[in-house]
Amino acid sequence: MSTALVYYGSLLLVYGAVYGIACAGLNLQFGVTGVVNFAYIIFQAAGAYTAAVLTLGPSSPVSFQHYVGGATLPFPIPLIAAAAVGALLALGVGLLGIRRLRSDYLAIVLLAASLIATAVATNQDGLVGGAAGLALVPKPLGSLFGGIVTNESYNLFFSLLAAVLCAVSYVIVHRITESPYGRRCRALRDNEPAAMALGVSPFRHQAGVLLVGGALAGLSGALLVEYISAWAPSGWLYPETFVFFTALIVGGTGSNWGALVGAIVVPLGIGEGARYLPQFGSPELMVSLQWIVIGLLPLIFLWFRPQGLIPERRRVFAADPGAARDRSPEVTS
Amino acid sequence: MNIAIEAAGFGLVTASLLSLGAVGFTLQYGVTNVFNLATAGIMTGSAYVALQVNQAGVSIWWAMVVAGVFGGVASYALNRFVYVPFIRRGVKAFSMVIIALAVWTMMQYITLAIVGPGFFAFRLPKTHTYQFESISLTGTDFILIIVALIGMLALEAALRLTKFGKAMRAVATNAPLARASGIRVDRIIDITWITSGIFTGVAGVAISMVVVSFSYTTAGDFLVPIVAAAIVGGVGSPTGAMIGALVVGMVSEIGAALTQPDYKDVFAFALLAVVLLLRPSGLIPEKAQRKELAL
Repeated sequence: MSTALVYYGSLLLVYGAVYGIACAGLNLQFGVTGVVNFAYIIFQAAGAYTAAVLTLGPSSPVSFQHYVGGATLPFPIPLIAAAAVGALLALGVGLLGIRRLRSDYLAIVLLAASLIATAVATNQDGLVGGAAGLALVPKPLGSLFGGIVTNESYNLFFSLLAAVLCAVSYVIVHRITESPYGRRCRALRDNEPAAMALGVSPFRHQAGVLLVGGALAGLSGALLVEYISAWAPSGWLYPETFVFFTALIVGGTGSNWGALVGAIVVPLGIGEGARYLPQFGSPELMVSLQWIVIGLLPLIFLWFRPQGLIPERRRVFAADPGAARDRSPEVTS
Repeated sequence: MNIAIEAAGFGLVTASLLSLGAVGFTLQYGVTNVFNLATAGIMTGSAYVALQVNQAGVSIWWAMVVAGVFGGVASYALNRFVYVPFIRRGVKAFSMVIIALAVWTMMQYITLAIVGPGFFAFRLPKTHTYQFESISLTGTDFILIIVALIGMLALEAALRLTKFGKAMRAVATNAPLARASGIRVDRIIDITWITSGIFTGVAGVAISMVVVSFSYTTAGDFLVPIVAAAIVGGVGSPTGAMIGALVVGMVSEIGAALTQPDYKDVFAFALLAVVLLLRPSGLIPEKAQRKELAL
């Protein structure tokens, strides 16, 4: 296999895994529980900044970039910290919003939160590098490869790491969606008053999925920044959240396999697919066409195939009342 | 302190822009309950329509009228041919938000594909600049403030005094009941979209006039402040929308003047978040809402 193919293949795998993890988290929030999180991208960004700052080392006044709280921590800690920061931030935003607001107001508050975060990160130069962002983020575990992180074997290693983390994320999300907790989340999505009448707390479940989804978003951001070594506000503007929503609608809202397929088809497929089209018109035209497709896809799918490519499995419960009684403690907890 | 007073002048102009957009948005959202984020796309489209007319040698004010008509027609078409079919299919409220966002994304990038990323400017008539203390306003600013004020008053009067406005308020409060009382709900909704589209179109032109040089993203930058103004004022009330616009405009301009110019939006968004959390029905809640609760 040629070197170029190895590089490209590992790049596709890393991007696929990053988008896959992000879509898994958003699917848990939007697809399973019905929380329209228009600020999803800021949790990914928070994770990316956390991982970057914790590997870059202390910010020095002579450096070209300035940030808060630099450190040089060994490999898994920046990723874990990124997930934790994503989760806590999501929980914080959630605590502010979800207790009181109807779903469309919550959507606009979260959209506003996304815009505020971009404005603050861009304008506070000392916080996370301002508009230029952070660069030269070291890659994890380079010492195992003698410090050379640009060769084939390191790229293969990194893409496998990403794939493993993606697989672990899907196992976690799968365990949640198949558990009684996941069932209660779906009940809230499908009929909130009925679920509440059965004693299901919307707040506890929405906060829970914000926490888990925020952690996954943070992890995906950390993985991405460790791979591409740089991160700036222009990479996480609010329309990027919309790309993930498109991915979920195309893949199948509420279905974990659907989220993975959506992640591969939409951000990866459209982003990479555009490279193979012959260049025509201006560069803006190409970018516009990509975004027009991303805007058009949800309309087409919601009209012709609202269940997406891989529909959410229809869950049928045993008609036997005895079996239902066995499960009842889960419903009321 | 002087900076704050100077900023209050800008705040007044910003408020009039936000008011035009917010009055349109609040009417449409109050009556139809569709969270129409694509209103920003219509503002942008209207601004470019006005630009074409203006460059053909027509005065900016006539161009604004043409843009208003365009906005009305575009809003009508958007509702009839995109939203209504989806609503008839029983799409849930949170999916409608995504449909609206999808439409807006498409509109924004279709505009980019047609006009390119450059900046454009209207040919504006030279007007006198008036100076009050440290506030300076141009004649154009004055006209825009008056247009916003007249628009709001006209709509408020129409809603309160005409039979038509009564029907609109009835649909906003309870559409099935309005239909049962013999109101032609579909027609009322169509006219609501057209009216709100006219405001949206005029707002798009007004925004592009005030920022002097505009691009395909300019009107979109005003979307959240406009929605903020509408919600702060209480959805469904034109007077509330104008008061909301005044609050949002002043807070963002004065806040930015005292801190950093780029934080204009941060103040507007923070205000929105605070109002939604503390008073979700807006500073001046709709009367209809209270009535509904009393029943």
